[in-house]
Amino acid sequence: MSSAPDALATRATGDQRNHRDARHDRWFRWLLMCCALLVLASLLGAAGATLWGGRHAFATFGWHFLVSSEWDPGNDVYGALVPVYGTIATSLIALIIAVPVSFGIALYLSEVAPPWLRTPVASAIELLAGIPSIIYGMWGLFIFAPFFSEHIKPWLTSYLGDSPDDGKVSWLAAHVPFVGKLFASNYPFGASVLTAGIVLAIMIIPFISSVMREVFQTVPTRLKESAYALGSSTWEVMWDIVLPYTRSAVIGGVFLGLGRALGETMAVTFVLGNAMDLSASLLDPGASIASTIANQFSEAVGLQKSTLMALAFLLFVVTFVVLLIARLMLAQLKKREGV
Amino acid sequence: MTESAAAGLHPQPAASPEAVAPTKIQVNDLHFYYNGFHALKGISMAIPEKKVTAIIGPSGCGKSTLLRIFNRIYAIYPKLEARGEVILDGENVLDSKYSMNRLRSKVGMVFQKPVPFPMTIFENVAYGIRHHEKLSRADMDVRVEKALRDAALWDEVKDKLKQNALGLSGGQQQRLCIARAIALRPEVLLLDEPTSALDPIATGRIEQLVEELKSQFTIVIVTHNMQQAARCSDLTAFMYMGELIEFDGTEKIFTKPSKKQTEDYITGRFG
Repeated sequence: MSSAPDALATRATGDQRNHRDARHDRWFRWLLMCCALLVLASLLGAAGATLWGGRHAFATFGWHFLVSSEWDPGNDVYGALVPVYGTIATSLIALIIAVPVSFGIALYLSEVAPPWLRTPVASAIELLAGIPSIIYGMWGLFIFAPFFSEHIKPWLTSYLGDSPDDGKVSWLAAHVPFVGKLFASNYPFGASVLTAGIVLAIMIIPFISSVMREVFQTVPTRLKESAYALGSSTWEVMWDIVLPYTRSAVIGGVFLGLGRALGETMAVTFVLGNAMDLSASLLDPGASIASTIANQFSEAVGLQKSTLMALAFLLFVVTFVVLLIARLMLAQLKKREGV
Repeated sequence: MTESAAAGLHPQPAASPEAVAPTKIQVNDLHFYYNGFHALKGISMAIPEKKVTAIIGPSGCGKSTLLRIFNRIYAIYPKLEARGEVILDGENVLDSKYSMNRLRSKVGMVFQKPVPFPMTIFENVAYGIRHHEKLSRADMDVRVEKALRDAALWDEVKDKLKQNALGLSGGQQQRLCIARAIALRPEVLLLDEPTSALDPIATGRIEQLVEELKSQFTIVIVTHNMQQAARCSDLTAFMYMGELIEFDGTEKIFTKPSKKQTEDYITGRFG
């Protein structure tokens, strides 16, 4: 019976250990929660700070602030329409170009390319993603914008614009609504909404394509083989099987790129032209929220400074709305597939 | 092992089945290499029409490799090479002029693990058909129903055709994969260890299905499970180390194999 006290002692230490473990687990959970809350706190803090900083602008202009394209520092009258439009337009152009190109890159690297080529190209893409945006900005300003204004813009205005130099309006410009306006040229510069969109596209292609490539590789081989065994071509396997299978991750990657495009500052500031005028033409200079803030913040005081803060808050709102739309799109797709 | 295998055997006519059925696939001196490794070493065999031919052998013996040559699914990967002939209805399917699309419509395949496509149950079956035929909606409905009925799945899914196929159980998913393959009306059906991921009840249903389908298709089944080969095949091929050791009527293979290696394997002495 000598083992009875031993057993009791073991049970006592066991109980102690249980208590200690429970306490440690509690602390650990609490610590983890703090880390997670930090994210939420910084988000709310940034939104709150910009909203607070922009309170004068919001109070002065009210809802008019959102729909006015006026920007007159002389009389202290400001509207957010030009930078908000510029932000959305440049990002949309970037997406329209970057998504198909990235899809092609990812498809090639995950399905078609010979194995020896895959790793070097994938690493090259990751290096591209690491290039600071100021470098893209410089390249855009010194090399791409002049090239654009000399070679691409004349072609666009004469074939798609409604005011070509030779006066011959193309069929497209005359018959498809908006096309003529979108490609009318009113300024002789290379800096424009379209230029900024193209530079942004080049910047976000590495992000989107590396996400796509990675998720394409997660598709089970047997799923692809099953589709090939039914007589599908590589394209059909990608489009019908791989893409739906990876849908949410692919959309996630696209919106990662879009998020970057919406907030991109330096490169856009260099190639967008920073004109606070609303123009329907993509070939005219414009302004984005980030570029307006970057350009004007150092000299702004009073109401103008508050307006820039208010713009920063709007960027939050735009990003939030975009993410919301992404979520809704995913939910809609899921419903259609009968999940 | 021999006893239990023999116990599951269907009684068969004395004449060996390959003697009566015409040849569907004639394999002549087939070699297969991947990355320089000689995986199949001169396989020759005649697979009879509308019979179930089982291929057995230990892991790595090349039985799946052989199956994957019949529909050239191996060709989606680089550095794999098949030499020799696989004659399907008088034409060599390894000939690069043989259309891949045509081959895949004549030779259907079902894989080890059930892999429904990320779509609805209906679309899973209709998907393959669309690659080969343009059908009206009504015709497509008929074809999909027929395929699901043939795969013994219709009664379980007829009310949820618009639901995602991933919601089905493993056994149902595998029968869906069979429905998907037979919806193309192939002539040959390749089954690559179709029950290795299923429980015994689901396995039983698939085996029963194989029995029912052989009146319509030439079936080649690769299996790890010797009782399965004994239960549902007419002929059995035993492979070892990339070679075809013995190929004969299933009853003969399991009761009086003519090769020592075959006997050792089916009595569980190795493998």
